[in-house]
Amino acid sequence: MDYFILLSVSGIAMGVIYGLIGMGYALIFKATSVVNFAQGEVMMLISYMAYSIASSWTLPFWGLLVVCVALSAVVGLLIERVFIRPMLGQDVFSTVMVTIGLAVMIRAVVVMIWGADPMVLPTDIGDSGVEFGLVFLYTSQLYAIGLLALCVIGMWAFLRFSRMGVAMRATAARETTALLMGINVTRVYALAWAIAAVIAGIAGVLLGTIYGLGPDMWTQGLRAFPAVILGGLDSVFGAAISGILIGLLENLSEGYIGQGLKEISGFLVILVVLMIRPYGLFGTPEIERV
Amino acid sequence: MRTGVIQESYGELISLFRNPTQIYWTWALAIISLAAPLLLTSHVTSMVNGMMIAAVGVIGLNLLTGTTGLISFGHAGFLAVGGYTAAILSADYGIALWLCLPAGGLMAAAFGLLVGIPSLRLKGLYLAITTLAFTIIITHIILSAESITHGSAGISTPKPAIFGLELATDKSFYYLILAILTLAVLGSANIKRSRIGRAFLAIREQDIAARAMGVPVARYKLYAFVVSSFYAGVAGALMAYHIRFVNVDSFSLILSIEAVSMIIVGGLGSTAGAVIGVVFVLGLAEVLNYVINLTGGSLGSLSALELKGFIYGLTIVLFLRFEPDGLIGIYREYKNRWINWPFRY
Repeated sequence: MDYFILLSVSGIAMGVIYGLIGMGYALIFKATSVVNFAQGEVMMLISYMAYSIASSWTLPFWGLLVVCVALSAVVGLLIERVFIRPMLGQDVFSTVMVTIGLAVMIRAVVVMIWGADPMVLPTDIGDSGVEFGLVFLYTSQLYAIGLLALCVIGMWAFLRFSRMGVAMRATAARETTALLMGINVTRVYALAWAIAAVIAGIAGVLLGTIYGLGPDMWTQGLRAFPAVILGGLDSVFGAAISGILIGLLENLSEGYIGQGLKEISGFLVILVVLMIRPYGLFGTPEIERV
Repeated sequence: MRTGVIQESYGELISLFRNPTQIYWTWALAIISLAAPLLLTSHVTSMVNGMMIAAVGVIGLNLLTGTTGLISFGHAGFLAVGGYTAAILSADYGIALWLCLPAGGLMAAAFGLLVGIPSLRLKGLYLAITTLAFTIIITHIILSAESITHGSAGISTPKPAIFGLELATDKSFYYLILAILTLAVLGSANIKRSRIGRAFLAIREQDIAARAMGVPVARYKLYAFVVSSFYAGVAGALMAYHIRFVNVDSFSLILSIEAVSMIIVGGLGSTAGAVIGVVFVLGLAEVLNYVINLTGGSLGSLSALELKGFIYGLTIVLFLRFEPDGLIGIYREYKNRWINWPFRY
């Protein structure tokens, strides 16, 4: 039983990161029907930027987070303006390939600037932690859980109450009609990319604090795919929940079934889930029989 | 004045060559490719071999992604299946090359069927991510099934030999690859002008309409997967003989993405485009290598690698931004301009 609890808790802690990355995927897909394959790379870029900031100024964790959030919003807007907006009107597949090209470029740039050696993100919460009975959690892991909750609530409130959020839902439902109703669709797109980058930035800072930085950090973006597919590509909250589910599943399968399953159990599960529910657990069903 | 190629009958519309000029050029190309190894150095021949092998796989991917419109990021997985099948059969069981190549292809085709079945209900990006999952899973299976695949140690393959004739040098291997590439191109061209190819196109444009017109969509989607993965499997088997060693690292995920970028750069849906895309992308890598060597290693080897990655990513982005029809699109545009001059249309 103890073993089970230990596995579950560390699984949830990892799943929270998947959830954050997955929310970014889902938000961009919902608003623009494009999957941003560079989401993991944006996360990596922000967390290396956080490294540079943290090593030049001594900032408390929250200070660093705020600076990084601002920075990542700028990064998101820049990516949208330079790479994505010129692709408006092209088919989705082309835009997706642009994000893949962008991903390759960001990976190269990060290694060119910061080098390929693993590093530690220096923050003031470092190795501190709290013990709950037999489970030990790092402060950063607790923060991660709290921040995911905050992001979910924030996104819910934004989409439910704010004018821009309603505009975003309208655009997601039917772009042309939204445009005819006077919604500035390009601005909605830009905002979606900015918010997705902000969420990726938060994930990046957390991941850097918990596991450190390395040139293969972007693979976390790949491993968050099962989360967003399981939740349904267009469900932001589904991504958050299934991120945690996938984290749990990875750890439990590794612990009880076999070595190495951690890497693939998520992908195996989505293959099965997609056969039964092709639009994921929380996605919008699109009924089409051919 | 010539106003374009006019096809007046159904037979002309689906014929392999549209006019005699194309036949002459094809002969010229055949003679050049047969004579090429006599003129090239061994290093260049080996590079051309690599390109031709990639072209076999990419033509297969083009049938699936370009012609049928099913996006696959799983072709590295099919390559791995084909490569490992050939390597295991030839190294551990001593089976001859002429059996190993189709065996690799058939094994990959079987896996293609396996991946194709879930794909029947999936579309677009869901499908892309599922095929990506396949690559990750297959790599993992290869690593863990050590008793068959030798795990992470990889397998060395014997020298390629066909009917007792050893193809020891790159130049002799060249002719075998050329023959297979020719078969691949012919196969792809013939599929495209047949009933099956037209069904593929109909599915790409609008699968509901295709179904309404009586195309059994599920069956043809599976055909596309099987044929495409067969191509990839044969290419993987050839790769195993070309590199003389297989290892999961030779079939990483980036290979799938490179393959998709090749068909985009070349021009989606066109067999010639697929070949041109392979030549361009792999050629670009070689040119970059050459330029980086010229700078005399003033860049570290690490940043040279990263610089290549950066330029590669930039190429994809620029192509999609400015030439979405790819290199074949540029060619067609200039050809039309030449034919119609001085008029614009």
